[in-house]
Amino acid sequence: MADDKDVLRDVWFGRIPTCFTLYQDEVTEREAEPFYLLLPRVSYLTLVTDKVKKHFLKVMKAEDVEEIWFEYEGTPLKWHYPIGLLFDLHASNTSLPWSITVHFKNFPERDLLHCPCNSVIEAHFMSSIKEADALKHKSQVINDMQKKDHKQLWMGLQNDKFDQFWAINRKLMEYPTEEGGFRYIPFRIYLTMSDRPFIQKLFRPISPDGHTHTLGDLLKEVYPVAIASDDEAKRYQVVIHGIEPLLETPLQWLSEHLSHPDNFLHISVIPAPSD
Amino acid sequence: MSDNAESPTETQKCDPSTTQQPTEDSGTTDEKKKIDVLLKAVGDTPIMKTKKWSVEKGRTVQSLSQFISRFLKMEPNEQLFIYVNQSFSPSPDQEVGVLFECFGSDGKLVLHYCKSQAWG
Repeated sequence: MADDKDVLRDVWFGRIPTCFTLYQDEVTEREAEPFYLLLPRVSYLTLVTDKVKKHFLKVMKAEDVEEIWFEYEGTPLKWHYPIGLLFDLHASNTSLPWSITVHFKNFPERDLLHCPCNSVIEAHFMSSIKEADALKHKSQVINDMQKKDHKQLWMGLQNDKFDQFWAINRKLMEYPTEEGGFRYIPFRIYLTMSDRPFIQKLFRPISPDGHTHTLGDLLKEVYPVAIASDDEAKRYQVVIHGIEPLLETPLQWLSEHLSHPDNFLHISVIPAPSD
Repeated sequence: MSDNAESPTETQKCDPSTTQQPTEDSGTTDEKKKIDVLLKAVGDTPIMKTKKWSVEKGRTVQSLSQFISRFLKMEPNEQLFIYVNQSFSPSPDQEVGVLFECFGSDGKLVLHYCKSQAWG
């Protein structure tokens, strides 16, 4: 359907205007100007910030530079989370551009994974896709692909090539007609006010009696707090790619169209803004 | 990422019929509950003498990986790869409890470990 394909493109080409500022305590030879960049929602910080790094390295001595890491209002940003998820979780409902602070020292070992090179990002990305397919197809589709197909998924993401990526990814979005959907839906629900990183459980897109599960059904089952009852004010927003999908949206449709390139639905539950 | 140094509890040795049931907590947080993990060596990676472990749900893959490395007396520069379902490598910060919920079978989570990349 033409409309549905447009959704795939809108998701892929989503961007967040960002302002990168060097942490004030970093040692520089002269003043560091902020650096502005449009970040792809569906990519990863360490994959798309070479220009940022180069910009700040121009004013620093090599001995003052260690592994780069990013922080927003005191919170270290996990590079292995998609950029759009980080924004929705930490900076939704704030004014643009998103202000990120850049560090080259005191890497926060407890909060962040190291990212010494792009192959680490590739390994993480491919593992996520494999985990998603284990849930959707018992790994049958991903295992039937050749190594070059796996490589094409990564190259498509790395080089921002929608057609190249979806030529392969469309196979991961198929399912036997008689099943009506994937075996289980790959999803993660992230909560701002929680010490657990995210909620991930087994959840079918279709109930045993053939009823199509919606986003609302998923939340009622795994995080009912997110849904306000009729008589109370809405306390939380349920956000995917910066928007609040209707709770009546079928989960199977969401999985096929609003998943990230890693084939997971990354859902943020954040406090609703008080007007 | 660092974790507390507490080691997983050893369950009854290897015989599935005597496996200790995950301990039930009286209504306290999920993090106190434990799940059973079965560790399987791949290729010529050394086999752990004790394969079955009772691990807290909130324990990370990285923490478990460090435990296995210490147990096998591996060198600091040696890498250890952990696999679920013989198909994917979970993120080091992933909680074993979540992996158990999604990929556990017969009451346990089977994890394969290897000194080299086994399944890419």
